[in-house]
Amino acid sequence: MEKMKVDLAVIGGGPAGMAAALEAKRQGVEKVVIIERDKKLGGILQQCIHDGFGLHRFGERLAGTEYAQRFIDQVKETDIQVFLETMVIEMTADREIYACGKKHGMLHISCGAIVEAMGCRERTASQVSLYGKRPAGVYTAGSVQRFINMEGYLPGKEAVILGSGDIGLIMARRMTLEGIHVKGVYEVMSSPGGLTRNIVQCLDDYDIPLTLSATVNEIHGKERIEGVTIAKLDENRNVIEGTEEYVSCDLLVLAVGLIPENELSKGAGITLDGKTKGPVLDENFMTDVPGIYAAGNVSVVYDLVDYVSQSGEIAARGAASYLKGEGSAGKEWNHVAAGENVNFVVPSKVSQGDKEKVSFFLRVTKPLKKSKVEVMQNGVVLASKQIMHGAPPEMVAIDSPVSGEGTITVCVREV
Amino acid sequence: MVLDMVKQMLSESFPDENISPSIDERNIVTLRGECSDWNTLIQIGHKAAAVEGVRNVVSEMTAKGVTIPRRDYEPFRESGEKIGVIRKADVVIIGAGISGCGVARELSRYPLNIVVVERGNDVASGASRANNGCIHHGQECKSGTLKTRLNVEGNRGYRRWEKELHLNVLDCGALQIIQEESQMPELKKRYETALRNDVEGAKILTPEETRELEPGLAKTNVPIYAALWLPTQRQIEPYETCVALAENATVNGVEFLFGCEVGDVLTEDGKTTGIVTSQGIIQAPYVINAAGVYADDIAKMAGDQFYTIHGRKGTIVIMDKAKKPSYPRLVSQLTPEYHKGKNVESKGGGMHPTPHMNLLLGPSAMEVPDKEDNSTTKKDLDYTMTCNQDPNITSADTIRIFAGVRPADFKEDFIVEMSEITEGFIHVAAIQSPGLASAPAIAKRVVRIVTDDYRKKGKNLIPKADFVAERKAGVCFHKLSHEEQDKLIKKDPRYGNIICRCEQISEGEILDAMRSPVPPRSVDAIKHRTRAGMGRCQGGFCQIKVIELLAREFGTEWTDIHLRGEDSPILLEKNRKEAEKGR
Repeated sequence: MEKMKVDLAVIGGGPAGMAAALEAKRQGVEKVVIIERDKKLGGILQQCIHDGFGLHRFGERLAGTEYAQRFIDQVKETDIQVFLETMVIEMTADREIYACGKKHGMLHISCGAIVEAMGCRERTASQVSLYGKRPAGVYTAGSVQRFINMEGYLPGKEAVILGSGDIGLIMARRMTLEGIHVKGVYEVMSSPGGLTRNIVQCLDDYDIPLTLSATVNEIHGKERIEGVTIAKLDENRNVIEGTEEYVSCDLLVLAVGLIPENELSKGAGITLDGKTKGPVLDENFMTDVPGIYAAGNVSVVYDLVDYVSQSGEIAARGAASYLKGEGSAGKEWNHVAAGENVNFVVPSKVSQGDKEKVSFFLRVTKPLKKSKVEVMQNGVVLASKQIMHGAPPEMVAIDSPVSGEGTITVCVREV
Repeated sequence: MVLDMVKQMLSESFPDENISPSIDERNIVTLRGECSDWNTLIQIGHKAAAVEGVRNVVSEMTAKGVTIPRRDYEPFRESGEKIGVIRKADVVIIGAGISGCGVARELSRYPLNIVVVERGNDVASGASRANNGCIHHGQECKSGTLKTRLNVEGNRGYRRWEKELHLNVLDCGALQIIQEESQMPELKKRYETALRNDVEGAKILTPEETRELEPGLAKTNVPIYAALWLPTQRQIEPYETCVALAENATVNGVEFLFGCEVGDVLTEDGKTTGIVTSQGIIQAPYVINAAGVYADDIAKMAGDQFYTIHGRKGTIVIMDKAKKPSYPRLVSQLTPEYHKGKNVESKGGGMHPTPHMNLLLGPSAMEVPDKEDNSTTKKDLDYTMTCNQDPNITSADTIRIFAGVRPADFKEDFIVEMSEITEGFIHVAAIQSPGLASAPAIAKRVVRIVTDDYRKKGKNLIPKADFVAERKAGVCFHKLSHEEQDKLIKKDPRYGNIICRCEQISEGEILDAMRSPVPPRSVDAIKHRTRAGMGRCQGGFCQIKVIELLAREFGTEWTDIHLRGEDSPILLEKNRKEAEKGR
């Protein structure tokens, strides 16, 4: 078994991992490796051929593939070592990594620090209690995106989409452009799950109906899906009897949520956060296992790739200071509380002591009009910013200085 | 006499139902008429079968507002007769579920030409697929039945199968716990049943002994007054078991024909001479009917339908193995709430860890008129979730919900015997739970029926000298040490290409499966053999890679790859001509 020693290992070569590796190099970290299980760098962006990526970072509307390419080009100019078609199958709390691939066999990598950047996975039919049969033709939105955009195959002709998350909306438009008849998008919640711009650009522009407070109650078809029963839901998400309606289709696309990939975190004994579903993180995006950091959709599922890259850079700066013997490991913590109208905040703790800038990412609990986002500590407002509206699917980012000791509360109030 | 008793039962118990019974010389009761609903129909069948002297019950009853689907076998018969004779065998087995595969494997010890026909495109396409993998101890079966005898014998018989076929087994035993003294008579009754049923090692334990045996109980603070310990309970993978049996049978000369529908059973002068299938006629002096939910239809073709199979649907929930069960043993707390609302004919399901330590909940038991109704419902799922007695497991840990239909007759016992009407036709019918556990004993019994019959005809069947008893287990990459994994990849790099992330299944393992004696053709068949796609993402990432491997291996188009049967393509057509490039 080949053994190697590195300063920083980044697990995953998508937008978070590449940003982390590049930032680590900028911070002067010497030996940086990216371990990627796919044949190419880029992660899920490889199948995101639609535009709208990079508005924050580059001030341009890029396709996902273009956004990824900018980072891939930068990685090529550095001495970052990239292992492709190599998958980490074990990560220990003392930062030993075991990764396998066709070329190298099993690699044993001892790491000074690690950034986890494996992304997330999609929730499945069984996880949202879809009843009825289990035929072919029921796929997650990400799988359908891959079938169509990367592999070049149509998985159906007449589609129903369950869930109005962004991938569901993007796929509604994509499938329409490919000649698939999208009969409707159904959302369990009473408000859309995706960004407003996607509702407008992906559904409204193509006359695709969106039905809120409704679900697929039953799947029909023994071998291949033949149709679904749609039903309206009451406030408690129970089916309203008598509202059931049969809709024929040969494809059911599920866009019912994403969950950070946690297998490696669990293996290393990292504590997970019940709200974000990712690891409990501090201001450097370090997990509660010293030297192991989380970035991108492993840390929490983001709506914009710009934030994904930003989180990679935060984690890399944290890892760089950790390697110098600085950083947050071993310190006392200030708890970060989700205040009024806030569902969760990442990070959920900040090490004590004065800091010039900490980036907070939060999601609101309900749709809000024009609001003020505030970071407070010991009764003092440390930072505030205005947002024109708030919606649960949209991540809000705010930078704030933090001082000394005391719980930090982040809240959003309508003004 | 017996008919009068049936009539009396009907008028007393079901005065509002208009059912007319008839009886034949073998005391087989046939019931006709329309019942008010499906559950009443099932109850009438059970009550009639329970009347003393009734051998079994054939139902020609209908139920108000219920369509009972009937299969049309005519097209298969026509197709087969047109093709003509394709095989001349000694034994033909109908059905490649656990019974059919078990019988095939055990019969392959003898110098016989054996063909197995299966309508699905893989083994375990029916009840054996949707099963919680119990090798039951046999305490919960009614004493004195064939079912109980075969269960207890089968449990012992598995020791050899486990060893010879290298099956994954969880030797967990079963602990039935009571919390109060008032439940002691019930526990003692269970203990006595265990003794009566010849269940090995049954013992009543003190709370201390119980906690010592299952340390998880101390952590979850379950109150314990006493427990019944049944050490012979084990858990296996039902699909793997069928595959292993079929592979080993194939190595020993058995031929499996998949996608092969039976259209008729041929008889001549009270003897069977073979079967007509959609793929042609197979001549054989022995026909073994292991057709699961359709065994009654096949028996009818042979002129000997003395039972009706009704479908009992069971729903099972699989939990994420990332959540380790608190009790690696099979634990059930016999509280008053436990198994509330269960079907009276069912054992009620439970909380079963698999050899891979996924927790299974269920199955439920719902009587269904459609023998292929494997749909899940909220009601079944709600019942199934009540089987959970592990405080660390919640519905949020669910990764898969599925259902299957088990074949039950109205006697609620197994039927394993030579037909009294059609010589050479052997019934292996009504093999519902614990059919998986009983499989080795069922196979042994069928072997005895066949060898005895040969002897009667003056021929002594002697086991083959070249019989290969061992079926080596394939590579299981994730179970190897990192050093072993390294060596393996250096030898064959394909083991270093992980296809299924969740279960860490490599390309090498999938290729091994595709080149096995009973090669899988569908994505589901790959899943069941290798576990690729069985994890928490349910194939979200690996399904496309499995399609690619299947298409490459079998030289077909991606659009020809199916989820299960021939009508379940995953991809419909190409959307880009350019996509063909580079492929």
